[in-house]
Amino acid sequence: MVDLNLLMSTTIYGSVLALLALGITIIYMTTKVFNFAHPRLSLVGAYLAATAMAVYVQHAGIKPNFEGSQVLGGQLIVPYPASVYIIGFLVAMVGGVLAAMFEYYVILKPLLKRGADFLKLMIATLAYDFLLMAVLLLYNTHVWIKKTLKDGLNLIATKMDFSAYDFALITQGQTYISGGFILAVAVTVVLALSLYILLFRTTLGIKMRASVENPPLAEVLGVNVERIYAISWIISGLTAGIAGFLMLLEPSSGSLKPISATSPADEIVVSAFAGSIVGGVNSIFGSIFGGFFIGYVETYVTNWLALLLGMKELFKYSRVVSMFIVGLTLMFAPQGVIALLREKKVVDRILGFVKGRRGEK
Amino acid sequence: MARAIMKLENINAGYEKLQTLFDVTLEVPEGEITVIVGPNGAGKSTLLKTMFGLTKVYTGRIVFDNKDITKLPPHERAKLGMAFIFQLENVFANLSVRENLRLAGHDLPPDVLEERIREVFETFPRLKERVDQKAGTMSGGERQMLAMAIGMIRKPKIFLIDEPTAGLAPKLAKGVLENVKRLNEQGYTIVLVEQNVKAGLEIGDKGVLVVNGRIAFDGPASELLARKDLARLYLGVGGR
Ligand SMILES: Nc1ncnc2c1ncn2[C@@H]1O[C@H](COP(=O)(O)OP(=O)(O)OP(=O)(O)O)[C@@H](O)[C@H]1O
Ligand SMILES: [Mg+2]
Repeated sequence: MVDLNLLMSTTIYGSVLALLALGITIIYMTTKVFNFAHPRLSLVGAYLAATAMAVYVQHAGIKPNFEGSQVLGGQLIVPYPASVYIIGFLVAMVGGVLAAMFEYYVILKPLLKRGADFLKLMIATLAYDFLLMAVLLLYNTHVWIKKTLKDGLNLIATKMDFSAYDFALITQGQTYISGGFILAVAVTVVLALSLYILLFRTTLGIKMRASVENPPLAEVLGVNVERIYAISWIISGLTAGIAGFLMLLEPSSGSLKPISATSPADEIVVSAFAGSIVGGVNSIFGSIFGGFFIGYVETYVTNWLALLLGMKELFKYSRVVSMFIVGLTLMFAPQGVIALLREKKVVDRILGFVKGRRGEK
Repeated sequence: MARAIMKLENINAGYEKLQTLFDVTLEVPEGEITVIVGPNGAGKSTLLKTMFGLTKVYTGRIVFDNKDITKLPPHERAKLGMAFIFQLENVFANLSVRENLRLAGHDLPPDVLEERIREVFETFPRLKERVDQKAGTMSGGERQMLAMAIGMIRKPKIFLIDEPTAGLAPKLAKGVLENVKRLNEQGYTIVLVEQNVKAGLEIGDKGVLVVNGRIAFDGPASELLARKDLARLYLGVGGR
């Protein structure tokens, strides 16, 4: 029997990873830097979203919708009106974008201008990650922030878990589909489709692909490559913000954690980069696939091992699975798992296998 | 002599800390073919890149069409009417022929762009047959045609062309140089770097010899072709 709750929570986790891997990949493709600060950008989005929602709820005098409350999966769910979530979602995106723009314009671009190499840029992103962590620690221990979050949403600023206000869209007895799940799937699908249209159906998309392949050639044809880079940072920040909002809403999905200045970003960075690498680092759609792939494999393999060995503690080590997959990918498919499928030989081999032609030779 | 559409005045330039061009002063006459020759590593490509803002200029001034463009980024020079055909990787391999052309004319009004695409297809019918093919899968000669078409889409005032015949069979190379000549006859100003000195200088009006990042000769192409002393010293032809 399929455990629906596990499948949903794994899918949410997978889309968070897909969103993060996408952001990491798009920045690697354009600016050629591994942005270690990327997962932390989503925490900036999450914190600003929570604060904005708390302020809005207080000022508008909104109360959770007790009439619509339900006990689902052993948890009491008391949703807010839709406007609260919409505000949170938008502010999370703005927060992610601001944090990303700051990183690009204030830190990386000056370094790029001075001719910094790959390693220096990477270290700089690490430094920015520490900086953000410190700022977020200051933020979530600030008296006003603590009070606002507590009074507005009943959240503890150092460990934010918004899941009690999740909204269930479809319920049938004790089986229900959480709002976070619908949101995660919808956002990922819409984003993948819009990116496809942007990249392959618009002039801006042609410019982006051209700037990735050959920046000087794009420049001499009149493309402002720096602006294309800035756009990719905006997209990266946007997706990070959305991931942050999902983490806020569904902190117990997969191996996510309640939002705090440290824990979620420090841990998820491993899985997010794993998603990007499995996707081939140079493929936007590969990264979305990679994120989901890592999400499912991490969760289900750990689950299976835990059952097999009868050790529940194993869940704490789920990231080891991601590390293992990264190792395998780099050894056997350095271009990413999708590229493997694209290679004609592999496809032929699989097709041959399916048709049973292998034995004939 | 024709008016100089581009002027380099006492240019010292290079790549970050590595200076490659030393005190280069040069005029490019409008409507003519200026051919730049010189040994490998002399700085010919660097000279073209410098004209387009792709290197670091330490001192000196570049004037194009009476405007000081020394500090202008390349994409803005493109908008002033400059085109550059690189020595290598001069088309987008991952884009189709049509996408390559659309990118090149991205800032033209759509109807003008369509008209220009039709025009280059008339010049290069081969490209029309391959309009949806990825440029990376085309032959070397076809790619060179596409590179030229990309430059033509914008109807630039000046074409900088870096070794268009490199790696092509002699027969194809001849065709490419004929195309360059035809471009010039249509009124385009051309700066051509060519490693086949004889063939290059023969289609050229002005000849420039670059050695060790300095201008060693600047005069009529026919005169440079006739200077056996220079040819033997730097180019490895003439004596044979
Ligand atoms: N991107 C770069 N970064 C650093 N140095 C470079 C770069 N490109 C070229 N150089 C150096 O600048 C010098 C001039 O190179 P350039 O490419 O201009 O020569 P060239 O005359 O075009 O030679 P060729 O005939 O081989 O094309 C060489 O010493 C080369 O190593
Ligand atoms: Mg060269």
